[in-house]
Amino acid sequence: MSSHSAAAALDHHHDPTTSTGIPNKKLLMWAFLASDCMFFGSLIATHLIYRLHPPADNMDPKAVFAPALTSFSTFILLMSSLMMALAVNAIQKSNVRSTRWWLLGTMLFGLIFLGGQVYEFNEFVHIKKMTLSNSILGSTFFTLTGTHGTHVAIGVLWLGLMYVRSFKPLQPTSGWLGHALLHVVTIAGFIVLTMYALIRLLLHVIVAEEPMTYGQYFAGNWWAIAGAVLTFFIATWFAKPRGPVAFNEYNAVDVESMGLYWHFVDIVWIVIFTAVYLLEFI
Amino acid sequence: MSSVAHSPAGAHDAHHVDNKFAIFVQLAFVLAVITGVEIVMVYLPWAKWMIVGGLTVLSVVKFMFVIFIFMHLRWDKPFCTILFFIGLILAVATVTALLQLFIVGDSYPIESAPPRTAAAAPAAGATSTPAPAPAAK
Repeated sequence: MSSHSAAAALDHHHDPTTSTGIPNKKLLMWAFLASDCMFFGSLIATHLIYRLHPPADNMDPKAVFAPALTSFSTFILLMSSLMMALAVNAIQKSNVRSTRWWLLGTMLFGLIFLGGQVYEFNEFVHIKKMTLSNSILGSTFFTLTGTHGTHVAIGVLWLGLMYVRSFKPLQPTSGWLGHALLHVVTIAGFIVLTMYALIRLLLHVIVAEEPMTYGQYFAGNWWAIAGAVLTFFIATWFAKPRGPVAFNEYNAVDVESMGLYWHFVDIVWIVIFTAVYLLEFI
Repeated sequence: MSSVAHSPAGAHDAHHVDNKFAIFVQLAFVLAVITGVEIVMVYLPWAKWMIVGGLTVLSVVKFMFVIFIFMHLRWDKPFCTILFFIGLILAVATVTALLQLFIVGDSYPIESAPPRTAAAAPAAGATSTPAPAPAAK
């Protein structure tokens, strides 16, 4: 039986070896997400209560929030959910190559979302003068959206680890773990250096009050750009196929559990987008 | 028959999986359109209750689409749905209860409570009578 025929025979929604008929990893993730609902529920309730009963000296959210950036972030997160669903769909068909591309796409969109959040927080703190401690609005807003952003960051890290895991050889050698570790480090290095270079470009060249020239920008940030290019090529070298891998449709439950987490982050943002941002502009 | 993929059941499964791909792409398009409608709705000159109601309904629709299709609840065993909805219902009930508690007017920021003098302060351990709430705003 080929791997593709096995994929067709494998039931990804039922595990006869457990008493519930549900894979244990999936059951664990659903239980965790149910508890996380209550966690975010308390944070959203706190924000809404202080918005409905604001102190006299509270900041005006309309003067602080920027609906255009948030709408863009919402769209990005929705599309990342699509990619995550397609990654699960691909691994259920044992299509490892396609799974890797969808995982990378999801990571990229997650990072764009995080970049947008970094930009937004930077603007709120330095331009709008709203900090975590100088107003109730700042306290509840940064706590809620910061917790959500942390969830997204953990999701991106998990996606990266799953991507590297997909390269585990069928017959792992003693050097595989070191190889995988270096792969993770180069990917993390590429992400950090790229985001650093892009955020500096955005803040100091494109939207700054007294923007620097592109020449000044390259002179000050050449090391970040060179590092990003170098780590990109090293990560690509690590990703070269080196024989059969121990990653197929039988790992679908791992990818699916991660996907559940990622989609949960998306549905939390659906609520935050409406309750925290849109309702302020009515 | 050596390959399951060539059996009728295998062909059915393959067709089912391919349909899921199309469903996911179509759903992403629908979610993007709903998000666009939400953004436009905020700027429409409608009554506030209509916009709040509309936004709530659209958010719930997006939420349900994601959990039942992207998160596979539609195809999974009902126990997963029950487990998640226990947490979700508790969360929604907690949010609603907290919002209602603050709406009734018994909770005010500490700054607005009347100052307590030393003579009026009860002895340690004595049962205290709560200070009267200030007049409603």
